[in-house]
Amino acid sequence: MKRWLKEDLWRHAIALVTCFFVLFPIYLVILSALSPTGSLQVTSFIPKTISFRNFSMLFTSPKIPYLVWMKNSLVIAGVVAILSVVIGAASAFAFSRLRFKGKKQGLQLLLLVQMFPAILSLSAVYVIMSRVYSFAPRIGLGTQPGLLLVYMGGAMGVNIWLLKGFVDSIPMELDEAAKVDGASAVQTYWLIFVPLAAPVLAVVSLLSFIGTFNEFILARLFLVDMHARTIAVGLQGFISGQYASNWGPFAAGSIIASIPLIAIFLSLQRYIISGLTAGSVKG
Amino acid sequence: MSAFAKREYAISIFLGFALFAMAITYLTNFSIPMKFFLPGMFFLFAFVVGPILYTVAMSAFHYETGNYISKPEAITQILSTGVRPDANQTTFDIVIGEDAGKKLEILASDPTNKKYFISSETTKIDLDPSTLKIDENGDVATAPGFHALTPSEQSALDAQLGSARFTYSSDYFITIEGGTLGSLKRQTLVYDKGTDTFKNVLTGDAYKDNGTGDFANIKNKADILQPGWRAPIWFSNYTKLFTDPQIRKPLIRVFIWTVVFASLTVLTQFALGLLIAVVMNRKLFGRRIYRSIIILPYAMPSIMSILIWGGMFDTEFGAINHLFGTHVHWFQSPLYARMAVIIVNLWLGFPYFYLITSGALQAIPAELSEAAAIDGATSGQIFRKITLPLLLQVVSPLLVASFAFNFNNFNIIYLLTGGGPANTLGGDVAGSTDILISYTYKIAFGAGTQNLGLASAISVVIFFIIASISLYGIRRSKVLDSFA
Repeated sequence: MKRWLKEDLWRHAIALVTCFFVLFPIYLVILSALSPTGSLQVTSFIPKTISFRNFSMLFTSPKIPYLVWMKNSLVIAGVVAILSVVIGAASAFAFSRLRFKGKKQGLQLLLLVQMFPAILSLSAVYVIMSRVYSFAPRIGLGTQPGLLLVYMGGAMGVNIWLLKGFVDSIPMELDEAAKVDGASAVQTYWLIFVPLAAPVLAVVSLLSFIGTFNEFILARLFLVDMHARTIAVGLQGFISGQYASNWGPFAAGSIIASIPLIAIFLSLQRYIISGLTAGSVKG
Repeated sequence: MSAFAKREYAISIFLGFALFAMAITYLTNFSIPMKFFLPGMFFLFAFVVGPILYTVAMSAFHYETGNYISKPEAITQILSTGVRPDANQTTFDIVIGEDAGKKLEILASDPTNKKYFISSETTKIDLDPSTLKIDENGDVATAPGFHALTPSEQSALDAQLGSARFTYSSDYFITIEGGTLGSLKRQTLVYDKGTDTFKNVLTGDAYKDNGTGDFANIKNKADILQPGWRAPIWFSNYTKLFTDPQIRKPLIRVFIWTVVFASLTVLTQFALGLLIAVVMNRKLFGRRIYRSIIILPYAMPSIMSILIWGGMFDTEFGAINHLFGTHVHWFQSPLYARMAVIIVNLWLGFPYFYLITSGALQAIPAELSEAAAIDGATSGQIFRKITLPLLLQVVSPLLVASFAFNFNNFNIIYLLTGGGPANTLGGDVAGSTDILISYTYKIAFGAGTQNLGLASAISVVIFFIIASISLYGIRRSKVLDSFA
């Protein structure tokens, strides 16, 4: 018993302090979401009254198209997640398995391009998309499809790089066996690689989904119209300007928006973490 | 192909090339790898490589507020604004109309001098007052051969009417100021195409193309005409970074803070993550619950977490001051604002390092520390001499990657402090917590003068810094070996 105290007590103490540090902001969000005054103003850390006004406001107030924002975010992030992995997987397969001239240079270019932080080329993307707008107003600046295209480009580098790592780990013998049996590269891809890599593809698309869902700067630059906004831009609008103004609905909205992400993350953490260590840091 | 019609040649050439490549690749068996690559390459080139090249190109131009347009556009604008009313500020009462050939004209009345005339953009016809019906104000409303426009017809011609110049004399012309008033003006800035100079006919000053996108007074270089144009100035934006003290000073300050911020972030995140990993690296009651709680910050949408922390640091209502019973102006003092940024980033990032290090700790064979223990090493010695070196070997590439990521961690700065506090009265763009990337963002898109050329130049410099850091990390992680 004494040994237990000596060995484990300090561990529990540190773990508990850390948990407090982690949970403190989260607790505050829940607190202000449930507070009827709708501010982050703390008078007491224990709520006296609990109200669901902030939550109901999100769904009933005509000024807050919360469900539309949520739908926008889910659709944009979903499309980017699926398409960028479908397209990225093909390139990753080619980089990993096929032999061609300029493979090394291609990989180096991919690596180099990834090092140029996206925000730095923001002004260029802005100018290019405003030019696209001049002849194709549906996919230019200020439209969701335009934003989607830009996201696709941004996701491509990381995804190809991550997926290439996974393809490399699939034993070469499988391809060679298929080749001996007369399969073409395209057949090898669809019949051998895609079924084998399915779980990995799912994880990478999940990472793309989370990354896109979290993206803020481009979305804010692109989506001006209230009903076109994503959830991140929409919610930020509540509290930008004067602080402590609309914290209630912001907190409630954040909680609802976080739930799907946290659920995905906690249930798949093992796979996501292996994916993260393989290639990148959270963006 | 409508891109071509709109004169967006670069984009249309790119699209045309992409279509051509697609046709070749998918309709023939020209290249199998290309069948896999093409869609990915399309997006990569259109939205990543293209913008990067564009940024590099922009960095060679004088491209800022006041110098956004092309030179011909700038000349047109200078010409249209380079007019002055005549010395007496003469005005006429006018009626806007057309002649029989639908050509725009005005019927002008000068009641004081009893002069009446019809003027178009090319001709001026004086009228004999005795033939006209003059009202009690001394104005005329109609004249033979003159057809007045109705208000709705006028509003349809709005743009044309605003810029029309009606003939008066060789130097002077009349422009429309509101529906019934015309004022007498003259062109004071005259452009001479042959010598590429503007001349002010009143003062006699000559303005010459100064080579950096402005027409500057020959006698006084600081006197330039607005607007300028985006002119190629090659490496001037880069040399300015080092030679212009107004740019160099804040840049050095921001750069130092960027390095400090990124190092402190990685250090604190790694230290806390490692501590937790070590603490929980044994069977502990409730370990699964601890673990689930501790990775929450990593799972939550980071934007929302940052905004919430921003509210918590509020001086009056914030939870932090309430919790500790203090009254700290977190975002008004440089030191406290910097502390806040580090604390929030610690919260956001340490779970990542906890996950990484706990995985790495488990991978270290237990035999090593057991052998050391038998040899009489204390647990502290085992940690410092065996565990930590082995661990660092595994995680150092990730530390480097994390440093590179935080070097450009725009969101936390932008959303938490906005780069502030800044001495805005002193005209500083850079705030105390601004890192290079948020500073660049302010230069390019900020509230004051927006300088895209300079911002692009800084971007390129940042790219080289990040690339060298990342290459160092990659060398260590031996990713490049697979290229060989």
